[in-house]
Amino acid sequence: MTLNSIFVLVGFIQIALVTFMQWQTYISSVIKTFSIGSYVLAAFLLAAGYVGHEPYLIALGGLTAVIRAWFIPSFLSRMLRRDRWRAREIKPVLGIASTIILSLLFAVFGYVIYAWTMYDYVHSALGAIPVALFLQGAFLIISRRTPTTQLIGYLVMENALYLFGFLFPELPFVVEAGVVLDVIGTIMISGVIVRLKEEPAQNADVDDSTPREDFTELRG
Amino acid sequence: MIWIYYLPVVLSGIGGLLCLVPRTRFEEDVSIIASFAALASSILIAFLPNATSFGLYVDGFSKLMQIMISAVYVLTVIFSIHYLEHIENKLFQANLYFLLLNLFVVSMFFTVMVDNVGLLWVGVEATTVTSALLIATDNNELAVEATWRYIIIVSTGLTISLLATIFIYGGFHTLSLDALLRAPQATKIVSVGALLGIIGYGTKGGIFPMHTWLPDAHGRAPAPISAMFSAILLPVALYTIVRFVQIVPMQSVRNFAVVLGSLSVIVASLMTFSQRQYKRMFAYSSIENMGVALIGIALGGNAFIGSVIIILTHAFAKSAAFFLTGNILAAYRTNTIKDVKAVSRTMPLTGYSLFFAGLAVTGAPPFGTFFGEILIMTRMLQVYGVWFTLVIASFLVVAFVGLNYRVIRMVFSEPVEPSGKMDDNATVPIISLVIAFSMVFLTPVVYFFLKGVVVR
Repeated sequence: MTLNSIFVLVGFIQIALVTFMQWQTYISSVIKTFSIGSYVLAAFLLAAGYVGHEPYLIALGGLTAVIRAWFIPSFLSRMLRRDRWRAREIKPVLGIASTIILSLLFAVFGYVIYAWTMYDYVHSALGAIPVALFLQGAFLIISRRTPTTQLIGYLVMENALYLFGFLFPELPFVVEAGVVLDVIGTIMISGVIVRLKEEPAQNADVDDSTPREDFTELRG
Repeated sequence: MIWIYYLPVVLSGIGGLLCLVPRTRFEEDVSIIASFAALASSILIAFLPNATSFGLYVDGFSKLMQIMISAVYVLTVIFSIHYLEHIENKLFQANLYFLLLNLFVVSMFFTVMVDNVGLLWVGVEATTVTSALLIATDNNELAVEATWRYIIIVSTGLTISLLATIFIYGGFHTLSLDALLRAPQATKIVSVGALLGIIGYGTKGGIFPMHTWLPDAHGRAPAPISAMFSAILLPVALYTIVRFVQIVPMQSVRNFAVVLGSLSVIVASLMTFSQRQYKRMFAYSSIENMGVALIGIALGGNAFIGSVIIILTHAFAKSAAFFLTGNILAAYRTNTIKDVKAVSRTMPLTGYSLFFAGLAVTGAPPFGTFFGEILIMTRMLQVYGVWFTLVIASFLVVAFVGLNYRVIRMVFSEPVEPSGKMDDNATVPIISLVIAFSMVFLTPVVYFFLKGVVVR
């Protein structure tokens, strides 16, 4: 099995996991699914580094396992345990069935977009997988109201870029490390903000026509 | 001597860390010293030759950005000391506020001096991490909601610019800014990267269509933070776009930037006309100014000089405007334009300063924004013809009328009794306005610094 075949396999596992996240009502399941996806990504990077004798990829795989697969999910889970009312997605934007169908359509759309716009420049069909995953992550942000799930959507987009970066070997390690540090910072700060967001605000729809005087000003 | 170039980052960083020392008002003294020291070092750097080694890329444009960041930093720190007393239910203690403010400045200094497109991204993303909590200083439901929007929209936008960085690397196999600017003809993958970079960093710069976080964040952040966001954070995002346009000076990339800049001007002008809250109105004015600046960056030549003049003048004029909105909010206890009347009588310094700040940010002569817009329009006329230029100019007029009409209503209308604490503390905004006014006389200096930077 070549590295490219494993890349495709890992990519499709990621897409399947994001689709699985879309039908989860419990936030903890979404976090666990993300953690599994990140472990798969880390294992792939470690294997690629081991086979290709590239210490840079091994270090990156280790970093992915520690930060993305373990630390961030643990941090988010601890936050959930503190505030039990955050455990469920109470009011999703769309129904579960339509969300899953749309999520899969986004994956297909990602492939089409890639084939039309980027394929001629990147010269690798593999790039379609991260692009599809990137769009699915964006859709997860749009389709959910719970801040924690939106954060996971952002992290899925970041994971997609990690996969994409793999197509351009030797992307400077200092940049990748900087990205990881920024992601940690973003998650920590978001953690504070998520905790500050009270339950009514969390579920409030600022585009809702419900007369909420204080929220009308946040409109466009 | 190379260590001098690191001084702004190091000094503001040390200032930030010292804010953690648990001594009463120590964070204020430390922040003032750090900000003045950063300003002094930025001015010193301006007299040194350009630096392109040891991870640095400091050219004339970087130097101008550093001076602008450090000057607004000084003004914001001084204004914050007084302004924080007006906030009753602060999210955190003053020392944490100043810690974050200093680190926010560190991340901006870092962004404008680093010689690596990847680290440029890290710097811009770090501005999000350090500034997000500052928006929520007021500690109310709306401020927290605005903070969340800021985090999620900007972070999502910046993932697009990370993709752009990967493309740039894919095309050139280097991320060194110095090497990229000397690289041969850009390939098509790089042009796709530049387009994505404009969208991604445009999110942070308040450029259409990813500008939606900006009115919320500016509207709900405390006045000094709104000032910093508008005056220096948005230009730092545009700085990255300048670098992308320099790396990939293809016509398709420039046209794309002109389209986004024009749409930003159009949308912001129309939205300025319909705003009911003065801080959001000034926020849309920032989008309009950044849109015009982006058009100038894309057009290159003298239009680029015009953009930099706009960015510099706007930085000081808009920070003055936001500082003054802080005085108004403290006195009138409302964000709504129609409830604020006769500021010129109740707080004369604040009222008249706001009037001039309104003129300055909307491009009235003799402010630098006017001359910057003239330079951009002249170039636009040559490149895109009369009709396109007329459309953009007419929307600038719409923004001018929309904003100044409301400011005049607030400043010169019939008096009502303010319900809050009257505090006509306008020293810092007036200094800021004077600097904004003097920008027009500094145009030759801007020309001098931008020699060799201008995209042709």
